[in-house]
Amino acid sequence: MSEIAVRTANLTKIYRTDFRRKPRVAVRDLNLEIRAGEIFGLLGPNGSGKSTTLKMILNLAFPTRGTVEIFGKTSSAAASRAGVGFLPENAYFYKFLTGEETLFFHGKLGGLRGAQLRDRVRELIELVGLNDARSARLSTYSKGMLQRIGLAQSLVHRPRLVVLDEPTASVDPAGSRDICNLIARLKANGTTVLLSSHLLTQVEEICDRIAILDRGELVRAGTVAEITESRRRTELVIENAPDALLAQLQAQIQNSTATLVTKRPARTSLEEVFLAATNRPVDERK
Amino acid sequence: MRRISAIASTTFTELIRLKLFYAVCAIGLLLIGGSVFFARFSFQEEFQILKDISLGTITIFSSLLAIIATANLIPRDVEDRTAYAILAKAVPRKDYIIGKLLGAIGLIALSVLMMSALFFAILALRENAVLNALQQSPASSPQDMAATIATIHHAASWQLVAPATLMIFLRSAVIAALTLFVSTFATSNAFTIVVMMMVYLVAQLEPIAREYWLQARTAGVAARSFLALVAIAFPDLQALDFGDAVASGIVLAAPLILKAAMLALFYVVLYALLSIASFSGREL
Repeated sequence: MSEIAVRTANLTKIYRTDFRRKPRVAVRDLNLEIRAGEIFGLLGPNGSGKSTTLKMILNLAFPTRGTVEIFGKTSSAAASRAGVGFLPENAYFYKFLTGEETLFFHGKLGGLRGAQLRDRVRELIELVGLNDARSARLSTYSKGMLQRIGLAQSLVHRPRLVVLDEPTASVDPAGSRDICNLIARLKANGTTVLLSSHLLTQVEEICDRIAILDRGELVRAGTVAEITESRRRTELVIENAPDALLAQLQAQIQNSTATLVTKRPARTSLEEVFLAATNRPVDERK
Repeated sequence: MRRISAIASTTFTELIRLKLFYAVCAIGLLLIGGSVFFARFSFQEEFQILKDISLGTITIFSSLLAIIATANLIPRDVEDRTAYAILAKAVPRKDYIIGKLLGAIGLIALSVLMMSALFFAILALRENAVLNALQQSPASSPQDMAATIATIHHAASWQLVAPATLMIFLRSAVIAALTLFVSTFATSNAFTIVVMMMVYLVAQLEPIAREYWLQARTAGVAARSFLALVAIAFPDLQALDFGDAVASGIVLAAPLILKAAMLALFYVVLYALLSIASFSGREL
């Protein structure tokens, strides 16, 4: 059985507002297991609890109840995050530092120093394609460049778990493709990736497993294949079917002379599943 | 320790790259430099005015810097989500707070050092000028001459003034630590600055409150409780201020300086611990 990188048990977050308003449930009884070495996608519309979940996993927000473990250690202990890198959504980082200085700073926080740190910074600057801008201050960086330096800082200490909140936000299509390739390379190196994204096509392409949150609740979870599988429909792949047969196919296929080559569950797009899962009325989920 | 030093040095870099730092230091240096041109009647008065103005300027500007520079350190990190990337690593919140505080204290040390260096240089220049003037109009007797020279040396001695500048630095470090504490729960930068300005004023009056509390026998329970709260909650900034004493020529005894330094250290540690407690419970 593979090692569990992140485990949440009955994870719940209730924000208490002032006494006149009802408390707001951001996340309710979330049970997740993210296996080491997989790419796990957390999906959900705005306000579904994705960011709150990520924050609780990283101990930036505290659960109202429930627990979070990172590689078997409670996430509230700083030591449990020694092998964790995080790219927050729309992070700005220190504008007064250069790209290189930013990586040196985060590398030191990650416990690197000396030649090891210098080599790692050089390697990452190359990897995220910021060689020409390495000595420029972040105040001069575009949003896409900031996203790339943010990604580099999350990787500088070679974490076992990388948490990426909307990693391709503000990045152009080519940059977005590079980031997807990089994520795939991280997986190949055995790094666990937990990401949240709105770009369903990308998630479908790169994630091994996904979970869909809606209004703080887990509404679907599983592999991309499992989630996109439709149990009510069947795909028929037919060979040598005459034109006449195609017209009556739906009704007559069982008794026709056509050859049934394969029979498999039909796939729907992840986007369709996502919309269906998150647009249902609340009553339907209960 | 390495993490604290990384955060402290980055915070220091952040602060010295602020235009505010240069503006505050420039005005401070201008005032200290300009004090040499103020009207003077005798060398004693000249040195007293020079010390009064310079120590007052260093006190005000380092306090101002301590409040303004420190107030925004944490709120800006949280708002820009820089704190997220830092604290998501194996960085305990106490390390983050201590690093931020040390960075701010480093900035205060640099500003006090710069202003003090100019102040001491002016003292030395004026001492030479006064001694030269004395040589050209000798006193009546060699004994009088020797006494006058000794008085000039005493009045212009930077070694006697240095403990007061050290205390200004420590006093500003206390203010920075308190500002950091307020910023850990403040909802805005403006809130922190306004609160700190009020705290600064109250802290100036704190000794009076404490004295009244300790001595008043006739005060009611409510008044005494309130004064006790003021005395405990606000740092005794007057106890850390030796500017007037030094300017008037009083030599500070080593035990007194040590006692005041210990008091300042106590406040810094107290507010640092409160900041850690407050920030550790804060959700980002």
